[in-house]
Amino acid sequence: MRPLRWFGVLFLILILAAAACAPGAAPTAAPTGPAAPASPTAAPATPAGGAPIRIGAPFNLTGGMASIDVPAANGARLAAEEINAAGGVLGRPIELLIRDTKTDPATAATVVTQLIEQDKVVAVIGFNDSDYVLAAGPICQRAGVPFITVGATSPRLPGQVGDMLFLAPFGDNVQAAVGAEFAFEKFGKTAYLLWDKGAEYTTVLAKYFKERFTELGGTIVLEDTYQSGDKDFSAQIAKVKALPQQPAFYYISALPDDVGTIVKQFRNAGINGPIVGGDGYDTPLLLQVAGPAAENVFFTTHSLLTADSPNERVRKFVAAYKQKYGTEPEAVFAALGYDTVYVLAEAIRRAGSTDGQAIKKALESIRDFPAVTGVINYSPQSHIPQKGVTVIEVKGGKFTLAAERVPQKVPAP
Amino acid sequence: MEKRSGSEMKAISVRQGWLWLGRGLGGLLLLGLYLVIERGGNAYLQRLSVLFLINLMLVVSLNLFTGFTGVFSLGHIGFMALGAYTSAILTLPVTAKAANLPDLPAPLASVALPFLPALLLGGLFAALVAGLIGIPILRLSGHFVAVATLGFLIITRVVLINAEAFTRGTRTFAGVPPYTTLSWAALWAALNVYIAWRLKHSTLGLQILAARDDPWGAQGVGVAIGRVRLIAFGISAFFTGVAGGLWAHFLTAFSPNAFYFSKTFEIIVMMIVGGMGSITGSIVGTLLVMSVTELLRNLEPGVTVGTFSIGPLYGLSQIGLAVLLIFLTAFRRQGLLGDREFRLEALIERTEDWIREFRVPWKASSVREADPFMRR
Repeated sequence: MRPLRWFGVLFLILILAAAACAPGAAPTAAPTGPAAPASPTAAPATPAGGAPIRIGAPFNLTGGMASIDVPAANGARLAAEEINAAGGVLGRPIELLIRDTKTDPATAATVVTQLIEQDKVVAVIGFNDSDYVLAAGPICQRAGVPFITVGATSPRLPGQVGDMLFLAPFGDNVQAAVGAEFAFEKFGKTAYLLWDKGAEYTTVLAKYFKERFTELGGTIVLEDTYQSGDKDFSAQIAKVKALPQQPAFYYISALPDDVGTIVKQFRNAGINGPIVGGDGYDTPLLLQVAGPAAENVFFTTHSLLTADSPNERVRKFVAAYKQKYGTEPEAVFAALGYDTVYVLAEAIRRAGSTDGQAIKKALESIRDFPAVTGVINYSPQSHIPQKGVTVIEVKGGKFTLAAERVPQKVPAP
Repeated sequence: MEKRSGSEMKAISVRQGWLWLGRGLGGLLLLGLYLVIERGGNAYLQRLSVLFLINLMLVVSLNLFTGFTGVFSLGHIGFMALGAYTSAILTLPVTAKAANLPDLPAPLASVALPFLPALLLGGLFAALVAGLIGIPILRLSGHFVAVATLGFLIITRVVLINAEAFTRGTRTFAGVPPYTTLSWAALWAALNVYIAWRLKHSTLGLQILAARDDPWGAQGVGVAIGRVRLIAFGISAFFTGVAGGLWAHFLTAFSPNAFYFSKTFEIIVMMIVGGMGSITGSIVGTLLVMSVTELLRNLEPGVTVGTFSIGPLYGLSQIGLAVLLIFLTAFRRQGLLGDREFRLEALIERTEDWIREFRVPWKASSVREADPFMRR
């Protein structure tokens, strides 16, 4: 009995080993030779009669980042299909290789290596968080493959990764500056500052907000922190209630998962002043969890995606997204994914080739490119677009446009 | 046993010869595999191999403690984090330190060590911490140790998040030099497996195993249970810390989130699949779990067989792994190898039996057991 089982196990391993070899070759048209030269150069793809231009698109489609990465991937896929329907780029269709990286930096690095080495992609787009960009970015940098991050907003990324990295969104310093300037003018000179210590994005956003707000002449009357995933904010709320005088507004830097809970608990405790935040608030969860308590909440984000937007590009995008996926864009990252593919396609068109350096140069030459999330400008000095920031107000149970502006001064990254 | 009593001497000498031949062939095979991957220039395969070797170190080290002592540890990824951060802080170039870690205390801020000393210090630091927390934790037994080590994991994370001068808090620790190569990983993994193997078959190892199987009996013959467990804990933490250092210099950017529950369970799954207490089982478990995950991940974007195609199935690899685990817990709860080892000696013995009888050995043995008159 026992030896039989042994052979069963051995058999299983053999099947798996055999299967493991097969799929590596199946999706790739060109199998990798066993004795390939050691130098991993980005393949100068041969324009052989409309062979597709391959673009790697790693996203965290499962795990903690999925709620914003799935819409981003959907937006990117939509853009690629539209471009192909309109004749493609350089007479060739775009093939978007969407891969799941499981909210795991090690998987992100492996997947990007595979995309570059085996699938020979000419550029990579993806990710909405800097952890994954920093894991995958150096690999693209070494291979000379341009990499545009769809939604990671840390303004330090290009400095940390290198000149092959571009951002599709604005940097956190820009949106924090707009948040500070907007609230300073509209609400007043005193603020309460609460941030999530458990994430880089929230920490950095709070830091830039404080820098710009105090520079304007504002005062932070109380600073406090919490950890992502906390469910009870009564300790923080008690400290706010103990203040001799309530501040003009409350700046709360939070991740999408926590936004609704925080807002609801603050309102239930009788704190009804304006709450201001960043693009982490741009999630359906805010209205779903906080409900009517979300009134008088303001946040900075990339764009207001509604079917009745005054902006024609937004209206067109929302309609196309709804037609393809049966729902309005779940998060603004859908629009960022869409814009990223369009801006990359424009760069390939301008470069006239799929060489990494040529695409990078072409990206740096892009000025006033009309996108759903604003106008995109790159330059050799700045790989972060100088885009306008949208301020959204929750009014009558809906996201409404409060302002669209550019900051007067941006804190250094 | 009596069946080969007539040619006992000869059989042993033949077996020794076979044994060395087997070892030689196995060594050559591994060396060949290493050279093919190293020289092959397939960066994807190289990355997977390095990840495999690092995971292997984590699994073998965890097994070295949990499998050998029978005391479950959920805190080993904490040691990995300590090793990763310690070695990364030590190797980070001085200019990068000034930019990223401006508040680093003076002696650390002005040094950038080579890879090996940084790795060793990372491992030693993890072992030191293991020694300190091991003294109180190992006075507990059974599930309480699991809870206490889980506490250690959570404390480590909180300390990493709050020691901002050293770790940048929750922000990504980036810019670590990419020192980890396939050779480094292979060297350390081989050393780790070798030491675990020697430990298991040493006097100390037998004492540890005895304390696991029968604590009262072991104590009765003079085994200092607390001391031997602490030694296993320290060695295990050392290699886990080194694996963390290798991982840090492989990925070059990480944050405290990387060293938490998901990594903990990933490693535990690999250990359980292979079998708790088996070193060769750890190798099989790591290989199996990683190949299942990677194979299914490659199928996720969709497959086309002829005209038949299956659309994208993201999440397939997690589901596949779950199914594997369910089957394993249902049909082979002790893991593929249990706490036994795959031994060359056993394989050769079977082959010799087979050669002697010109028959498939398992069939022969079952017939023999069933009917004692069939012996000759």
